[in-house]
Amino acid sequence: MAINAEQALAATKVGATARVDAAVLPRFTPGTRVRTLNLNPPGHIRLPRYIRDKEGVIERDHGVFVFPDTHAAGLGEKPQHVYVVRFSARELWGPQGGAKDELLVDVWEDYLEPG
Amino acid sequence: MSANHNRPLSDVEIRVKALESLLVEKGLVDPAAVDALIDTYEHKVGPRNGAHVVAKAWMDPAYKARLLADGTAAIAELGYSGIQGEDMVVIESTPETHNVIVCTLCSCYPWPTLGLPPVWFKSAPYRSRVVSDPRGVLKEFGLELPEKMQVRVWDSTAELRYMVLPERPAGTEGMTEEQLAALVTRDSMIGVARVAVPGQEGART
Amino acid sequence: MNGVHDLGGMHGLGPIDIEQDEPVFHHEWERRVFGMFLPVFATGAFNIDEFRHAIERMGPKYLATSYYEHWLAAFETLLVEKGVISADEFAARRVALAGGMN
Repeated sequence: MAINAEQALAATKVGATARVDAAVLPRFTPGTRVRTLNLNPPGHIRLPRYIRDKEGVIERDHGVFVFPDTHAAGLGEKPQHVYVVRFSARELWGPQGGAKDELLVDVWEDYLEPG
Repeated sequence: MSANHNRPLSDVEIRVKALESLLVEKGLVDPAAVDALIDTYEHKVGPRNGAHVVAKAWMDPAYKARLLADGTAAIAELGYSGIQGEDMVVIESTPETHNVIVCTLCSCYPWPTLGLPPVWFKSAPYRSRVVSDPRGVLKEFGLELPEKMQVRVWDSTAELRYMVLPERPAGTEGMTEEQLAALVTRDSMIGVARVAVPGQEGART
Repeated sequence: MNGVHDLGGMHGLGPIDIEQDEPVFHHEWERRVFGMFLPVFATGAFNIDEFRHAIERMGPKYLATSYYEHWLAAFETLLVEKGVISADEFAARRVALAGGMN
């Protein structure tokens, strides 16, 4: 049944976190060099093209979240760590990248391998 | 803002009315809930919330430390929690490093602290270019950064929502938290502007 | 998917159109689409990642339409796919609304 106004406003205050309270061990720790995989599935994926098959460094570990690729396809939550991965602008854009500049992107563990 | 009833509905207006009326008839959507949500996000939630967070962080070093360590919890202390702000990260800009936020895949944005995003944040030109040419994009916003300053672009591709803790401008030492909050703009918390003191160099024109 | 939504690094999409003193909504229909977001999710018909994927499946129309049109397109796609409304009843309602105003 439809939620009423009071329930709707209460729901905005709570939200719906994608964080999962599951004891999943991280595969990577901050400071570790990693490489993103070259993935091109036809379904939902959160690894933008501009950071595929690139070298970066784990900047921080955000904890465990629902994996959207499986969640969007009705294949379950597959909870796993999400990391901030730091890339140099030169790694992503070559000579067009700023010499000192960096990109920091949230990346699910399934998109990463050791660098 | 009410529709002019002498004019035919546009295609998009027809689609929205068709969808809402069907969902209401099926008992799945209560129009009063729709009205309440619109009113909340049009009039009650917005970047003044984020400005409060920033001003408190500038005034209170212990709060700032909590904010940078666990943005979600520190922002919740001030009551700005909920949908599209469930998991918050606050990034501090310094004299050495300027931070700017984007969502290249969609338009993720921290609603509880900044409200709903402006059109430019959701637009293809901003999302495509700020990652590859951040300095050029910032120039379009009137912000020219020195070469020696590092730019860090944060692409919020996951379920974390980001906001920037901008640098506190010089000349604000005697200000109260309320006066500081009044200086903090939405754009400075996205990272496409710095906070300026009116009348001083660097103020947005 | 390698969709048109995946914009990072693309060239040639034009200048950034910065609107001073921008209102939260530009049209009444945008208000209604925004306001339906949470109630529609509360029905449990689909999850947020299915919603994002439905937007990504818009194809070339994605670049020619605004944010709330993306939401509308995803609602239409998913509510029909999940059987919450039928394509026929939605089409009939659109015809009725168009005819009723002419």
